[in-house]
Amino acid sequence: MAPLITVENLAKEFRRPKRHTGTFGGIRTMFTRQYTVSRAVRDVTFEVAEGELVGYLGPNGAGKSTTIKMLTGILVPTSGTVEVAGTVPWRDRERNARNIGVVFGQRSQLWWDLPLRESLRLIGKMYDFSREKYHANVERFTELLDMAEFLDTPVRQLSLGQRMRGDLAAAMIYEPRVIYLDEPTVGLDVVAKERIRAFIEEENRDRGTTVILTTHDLDDVERLCRRIILIDHGTVLYDGDHAALRARYAPYRELVVTLADGATADIDLPGVEVTAAAAGSATLRFDPDRMSAADLIGAVLARHRVSDVAIVEPDLEGVIREIYAARSVRA
Amino acid sequence: MRTLRMYFLLYGAALRGQTQYRGNFVMMMFAGLAYQGVGLAFIWVLVGRFGGIAGWTLGQVAFLYGIRLTAHGLVTVPCAQIFSVDQILREGDFDRYLVRPVNPLVQVLTGSLSLQVFSDLLGGLIALGAAMSTVRIDWSAGALAFLVLAIVGGAMVELAIVLAFASLSFRLLSVRSLILLSLTTMQNFGNYPIAVFPAALRFVFTFLFPLAFIAYLPSTVLLHRTGELSVSPVLAWGAPLVGVLLFAAAYRLWVRQSRHYASSGH
Amino acid sequence: MSAARRRITGAYECARIQTLIAFTYRTDYLFNLVGLLLQVYLLRVVWTSVYGHRVSVAGVTLPTQIAYATLGTLQYWLFNPWGFSMIPERVRTGKIGVDLVRPVPFLHQIVSSQIGLTVGLAPFALVALPFAVLLGRAAGPASTGAGAVYLLSLVFGYLLTILLASIVGMMSFWTTEVSGTFMMYRMVSQFFSGALVPLWFMPGWLADLTHVLPFQATTYSPLAIYLGRVHGGALVTTLAVQVLWIGLAWLALRLTWARALHRVVVQGG
Repeated sequence: MAPLITVENLAKEFRRPKRHTGTFGGIRTMFTRQYTVSRAVRDVTFEVAEGELVGYLGPNGAGKSTTIKMLTGILVPTSGTVEVAGTVPWRDRERNARNIGVVFGQRSQLWWDLPLRESLRLIGKMYDFSREKYHANVERFTELLDMAEFLDTPVRQLSLGQRMRGDLAAAMIYEPRVIYLDEPTVGLDVVAKERIRAFIEEENRDRGTTVILTTHDLDDVERLCRRIILIDHGTVLYDGDHAALRARYAPYRELVVTLADGATADIDLPGVEVTAAAAGSATLRFDPDRMSAADLIGAVLARHRVSDVAIVEPDLEGVIREIYAARSVRA
Repeated sequence: MRTLRMYFLLYGAALRGQTQYRGNFVMMMFAGLAYQGVGLAFIWVLVGRFGGIAGWTLGQVAFLYGIRLTAHGLVTVPCAQIFSVDQILREGDFDRYLVRPVNPLVQVLTGSLSLQVFSDLLGGLIALGAAMSTVRIDWSAGALAFLVLAIVGGAMVELAIVLAFASLSFRLLSVRSLILLSLTTMQNFGNYPIAVFPAALRFVFTFLFPLAFIAYLPSTVLLHRTGELSVSPVLAWGAPLVGVLLFAAAYRLWVRQSRHYASSGH
Repeated sequence: MSAARRRITGAYECARIQTLIAFTYRTDYLFNLVGLLLQVYLLRVVWTSVYGHRVSVAGVTLPTQIAYATLGTLQYWLFNPWGFSMIPERVRTGKIGVDLVRPVPFLHQIVSSQIGLTVGLAPFALVALPFAVLLGRAAGPASTGAGAVYLLSLVFGYLLTILLASIVGMMSFWTTEVSGTFMMYRMVSQFFSGALVPLWFMPGWLADLTHVLPFQATTYSPLAIYLGRVHGGALVTTLAVQVLWIGLAWLALRLTWARALHRVVVQGG
């Protein structure tokens, strides 16, 4: 089956007039002919099939938001092609808009002074959505997101968690084929985050809605995304699933050893890297393919007086940190 | 047309959002009227002491004033947000509009509303009404029709000017000062019959910054003063059409410039 | 550091900050000035047109009238650049809390800040002056003496402007939606200050009304002195009236401030 989203050699350059400083800097800037060029996206290629739930990750300034903006039709690419559900977003903006829903974590799409219910109604009308399906969806989302108690409250008075739920409902009320979520759980408490994640997962699973998730919260990613696309300096660093990511970039496990009577360990074992050492503890990194945890523990116990051990799997955050570190060394 | 339907839908939403700020409404209306009234008061004192401006009586100047203000009101009531486009772009609200299947200009114009703008329209209608009872005009159906056309055409000229400047905000950082300057120029110079100004300025206001088409030229037609024009009376009769043409050109400029949108930050 | 010395330093700081802020917004002010110069030009054209062939109307010649319009417009701008008064903004953003804690009495802060802003704008006004003279016309003072007294009267007019604006600004302690009232005030005060229409052209009853209100003492009085329209005994009376209004305004301001302070305490910030 043809992929829903195709991105090929996508690039975006920003030419900004060079800002002059000093006297009359403002006026000189207005008339300048010099430009600074910043290449936010250099060469990005990937495909997304319908129904996937993809995490789109990268450090700040990596080109994440720029890519998403090209996918949603906000920006026009400098070169390369992008197609979503058979439509070129920047060329057929309105047609593309009908297929997508967007949640900007930082700012709301709702009408500030009106009750939430009104915002949903307006959106239903803007998308010419069928009335029966609209009402059915309002009921369904109200229940799923537990919005009954604040559906008639002006959006201005909602808490952050309530507003985020409202924004999510607004983005999906007209059943778009793709939704782009930008930091949907930022600033929320643990319970609220879980509720939102559960909702996203359910919509993806039951309705087959394709989800592109951009977030710095790696718990979101661990919970929801089977596939991760990692971007940095405007190019794709990694595109694949979770496990493979770890296997490729962080093929290790760590053993945290607490030493008896707070001695500083001088642990020197073949195939073992000491990644952290302090008075009374040490973290040993080893390759589970080469050495089993049991063997390592045995070797440590033989040589040192140990009071406690713990095995730590590299979490997604650690993996990604490794990737960024390697990248900046290489770059 | 769907765009128009969407406009009314969203404008209604903006109105409903404002109902809670009703309290200040009356005061704002008075303030708006006062703002417009001061200019008229100046003219009133002037004419009272000097008997006329460039041969125009007080009633005639008030008529001109009324047309201009009503036309201005016809711009600010539906499209007041056009004056704040660069702020809207800077604050990143435009992204939100681009992601919806509705004309982004319509969304810009309906994003927010300040009830005070109705005072412009009200003030204009009052001035116009008062003037119409003073000046000697034969109000045939044709004359009334032309009056309506003139006001709508005048609104389109003003809108075209502001829209053209607003389009620049996609590329330039801040056009707010430019737009305010245009606004004050229209509000100051637009209240006087252009015949008062020296030839060079008359040229500027007819062919460069088309202020004359907003109220002055149509007024000369209705007041039977086309004789004083230094340009062909055809321009005066065709003022409404000029408004439509200018607006069409300004809208095309807007659409073209919006392709240069480089959304900033989040 | 003595309390008085602290006050002076504090007041100076308030002023300095506003001067810097004015400089930061210099592009906006420059455009603002262009609009101002356009208005000066417009007024000259209109006055020339209405005078027609007449040499003098109500005892005022055209050059004098144009000089009045030119200087009056510039002067009014310098006193009331735009915006209105710092008070509403500070109340709304909550910064007022910080202001109340500073070691400078609030009213002095407001006055110093306003002065600082004017100092920051003065360069712009000076730059605009030659252009204004070019586009409008201006005459020299009626005499050197008139010129000197004009400066004094200008200071009085300026003080009065700040005080009056501050009194109205105090309203923001009672209600947040004040922009309507401010605009009203601004328009009324502008008209009656004589910035647009000199008193000598107003119809009798209007001129009488204007004389009763404080606003003419801000813009009209100094200009009348400059142009030699008032001299001798009338000049002294004009100055005295200015001083009287300043005194009344200061009293009113203190009273309003006392009540506002009481209200702040009651509301608990």
